[in-house]
Amino acid sequence: MNPKLRRLLPRLLLVGLILGLALFAPLLTDQDPVKMTISERLQPPSADHYLGQDEYGRDILARLLYGARVSLAVALLAAAAAGVIGVTLGLVGGYFGGIAELFTVRLTDIVLSFPPMLLALLIVTILGPGAETLTLVLTILYTPGYARVAYGETLSARSVEYVEASRALGASPFRILFRTILPNISGPLIVQFSLTVASAILIESGLSFLGLGVVPPDSSWGLMIRAARGYMVYSPLPLLWPCLALTVTVLAVNALCDALRDIYDPKAAREGGLLQAARSLVRFPVAGEARRAEAEPAEDAQVKVSDLRIEFATPHGAFAAVDGVSLAIGRGETVAVVGESGSGKTMIGLSILRLIPGPHGSITAGSIALRTKQGDVLPLEQLDEEALEEVRGRDVAMVFQEPMTSLNPVYPVGEQIAEALRRHHDLNKREALAKAIELLERVGIPDAALRVRDYPHQMSGGMRQRVMIAIALSCTPALVVADEPTTALDVTVQAQILDLFQHLRDEGDSDLGLMFITHNLGVVAEIADRVLVMYCGRIVEEGPVREVFRDPRHPYTRGLLSSIPRVNQATGERAPLTAIPGTVPGPGERPQGCAFAPRCAFAEPRCSVEEPVAHSFAPGRSTRCLRWDELGPAAARDTEREITQEAGQ
Amino acid sequence: MTTSGNAPATTIVEARDLTKRFRASGGGWGRRAQVHAVEQVDITLAPGEVVGLVGESGSGKSTLGRLMLRLIEPTEGRIRFEGEDITDWSQGRLRPLRRRMQIIFQDPYSSLDPRKTVAGLIGEAFAIHKLYSRRERRERTVALLERVGLSADHLERFPHEFSGGQRQRLGIARALAVEPRFIVADEPVSALDVSVQAQIINLMAGLQRDLNLALLFISHDLSVVEYISDRVMVMYLGRIMEEAPARDLYTKPRHPYTEALLSAAPVPEPDVERKRIILEGDLPSPMDPPSGCVFRTRCPYALPACAEAPPPLREVAPGHRTACIRDDVL
Repeated sequence: MNPKLRRLLPRLLLVGLILGLALFAPLLTDQDPVKMTISERLQPPSADHYLGQDEYGRDILARLLYGARVSLAVALLAAAAAGVIGVTLGLVGGYFGGIAELFTVRLTDIVLSFPPMLLALLIVTILGPGAETLTLVLTILYTPGYARVAYGETLSARSVEYVEASRALGASPFRILFRTILPNISGPLIVQFSLTVASAILIESGLSFLGLGVVPPDSSWGLMIRAARGYMVYSPLPLLWPCLALTVTVLAVNALCDALRDIYDPKAAREGGLLQAARSLVRFPVAGEARRAEAEPAEDAQVKVSDLRIEFATPHGAFAAVDGVSLAIGRGETVAVVGESGSGKTMIGLSILRLIPGPHGSITAGSIALRTKQGDVLPLEQLDEEALEEVRGRDVAMVFQEPMTSLNPVYPVGEQIAEALRRHHDLNKREALAKAIELLERVGIPDAALRVRDYPHQMSGGMRQRVMIAIALSCTPALVVADEPTTALDVTVQAQILDLFQHLRDEGDSDLGLMFITHNLGVVAEIADRVLVMYCGRIVEEGPVREVFRDPRHPYTRGLLSSIPRVNQATGERAPLTAIPGTVPGPGERPQGCAFAPRCAFAEPRCSVEEPVAHSFAPGRSTRCLRWDELGPAAARDTEREITQEAGQ
Repeated sequence: MTTSGNAPATTIVEARDLTKRFRASGGGWGRRAQVHAVEQVDITLAPGEVVGLVGESGSGKSTLGRLMLRLIEPTEGRIRFEGEDITDWSQGRLRPLRRRMQIIFQDPYSSLDPRKTVAGLIGEAFAIHKLYSRRERRERTVALLERVGLSADHLERFPHEFSGGQRQRLGIARALAVEPRFIVADEPVSALDVSVQAQIINLMAGLQRDLNLALLFISHDLSVVEYISDRVMVMYLGRIMEEAPARDLYTKPRHPYTEALLSAAPVPEPDVERKRIILEGDLPSPMDPPSGCVFRTRCPYALPACAEAPPPLREVAPGHRTACIRDDVL
């Protein structure tokens, strides 16, 4: 059975049982809930009266069951009525705006501005006490809650693209509201319903307790509690029963609504599938000795990563985001790490600053050796947090993709640079600020002396990225890791930033090592000396940019390069794109053998069995492909045609 | 509604002087601030024509696409669709027309209703327009899925069970369900991985050709636009800077902005040494665009005269129009 249904069923049964008990009260007990026997007041449980008798000698079980009818009917009716009215108001107000919005918002404001008890008193005074009045009071009280939730959710759902898609298809507003928006906001509404029912039962009890609800001698749980309270010192049992009934009912309704919400959320289950995927993952072989190319600039490397493995714990087992990666970045060298989403490229960047998001992620194998400015080599994987704080910023710095979220919005940018400076240098505030202005000038911010007082939101995306770079450069680190630093920027601004990086390298710090993480092969060609191509947590190909682009020796690299649209400049002819079929496997779906084999046009049966190791076939170049030698420049033409045919289908 | 004199076969959709100004929140001090999203744009698409619309963020290209479908109401200007002026039509009157014009979105994650199965997502298009019987709907849905490279096995799945590329295929299938003649594709491959982008471009190019669709392809990626478009329009700060057949525009740009944009795009050819034009500064605020030519504040060739009036688009070669007064430099 579906796990979601399995969760729902017992809860449904429990709530059903409670409703059944109330509904079939006359069948379950032959005692009269209002018949008094004063002589038997406050009797303990007996064979005739299973739960004992109250202060007038009435049967407690009968009063509990009959009382449940009133309590539950009032609560459910009020919660449902308030739900229908409130949700309609919220949907209409949120979707149409204008007068409808004004009406919904103001109406809820008015109701909410009354103290609930006062409102209840007012209505009871006008209409007189009783179950019907109580229902009306509760409906009015709870409508604003629903309206608010529905209004807020509709407001945000209205601008989502799938709602626009429905409009573009010509759907009527009615259809959009009830067929598209309502199902999508049902989660919070179901929660609201469960809270309302629980709260309505409690308020019903409270109002009856005050004498504003159900009129004696009729029974309700609130009335029972009110009456029993007076005698609780002599006889606590009559108080216990209605309280217990109240608690169990409220909890059961909450549990039911939780399960219902999950049922309506298609994303919330399918655990079976994931679990299986995770199991297959655990069997995944650990990458063995990756033989490295000897021509690597290992001697004067700023950073040397060996056999790095980064694992993430998920509810379904561990998976390796990075699996057996070795790399080195030499002094003054720019190395691009290129790959698609899920390739593990960002994790490698973060690991060099030991910033892997914990507690789920961790480095489980391998070493990261970082050369400091003094020339010492630090084993980063062994350092504690305190030592790492010293290293970060001083020896290695990071530039992130989204500068808006990586800068602190409440401080001027100058102060943020100054703070970074003062962490590693003995500078006073004024000196640090002067240095910050100097840095801003260096990263090409005009009027740096003025802009230093700007807050991040006053700057454009390109300017913010320059500030991030200034912060990264503030303590003249030996290595900068830039993770997609131009992806969020426009083409013309991207060109500015790439130009800045080149400029810094050529004229400033010629020793600065740069790790440039990107998915854009054009950027790689512009900026990098060497390129590492990643797929599914491994480096599949490595080499000098020119050589790799001219003569790729891994089918994945080849596929990436040929999936870029190109028009022949001489003839204007458009060759069909040779797309790579399929998609990048998800974290739990990595295939056996070569991870790229299922999408590879060159794959043979052995590729899905045998795990290829990194093969160094020329100085500085290596590939992880069993058939690398067949991938010469000329050999691939025919195969590319095959790929095109496959991808076109 | 008057029907225009020109034969409807030559244009499927046509907009004149299309302008959209949004009211900006928090304008302050008396005058209501306005965002000049689209300013006096003329655009025409012939049946089966692919027009690429290029621009950076904030250029108004997405707004222009939505204006043409009347998903957003224009502030000024007229829109004609298949010869009829639809500018003043009510949304109710437009509803049957929506079968003939569709949109494909950028984000394959937010553009599919997460609570509907694939059958429901694509079936909605039929249900709205009351097309076909129940059985036919199913058959047609399967045919559509196969057309975009998916299969009948996917009918009962929910969007979150698909990868980004597959979701984009679903978005395309939904748009094609009502058999439109005109599609606005708003950055349809920008959110996808490189290796998947090519699949979707191939798919769209094939469908466009086979179904003879008029396609407005909006993108910031110059190489993708060059690959798929017959004609390209370059937009900057709400205005069209240049418009030309794709090849002319890429080989002989006549507007300084186009020239800079082309030279700024990184090209995956490390052996090619290129002269790069780096534009100074950033896009000015669309709330307060520069007077005259909106590009003059970043233009390397700007003259005092550029500040006087927005230069109109002038024809400089057959089908090639540019909004620049400096014929002497390019």
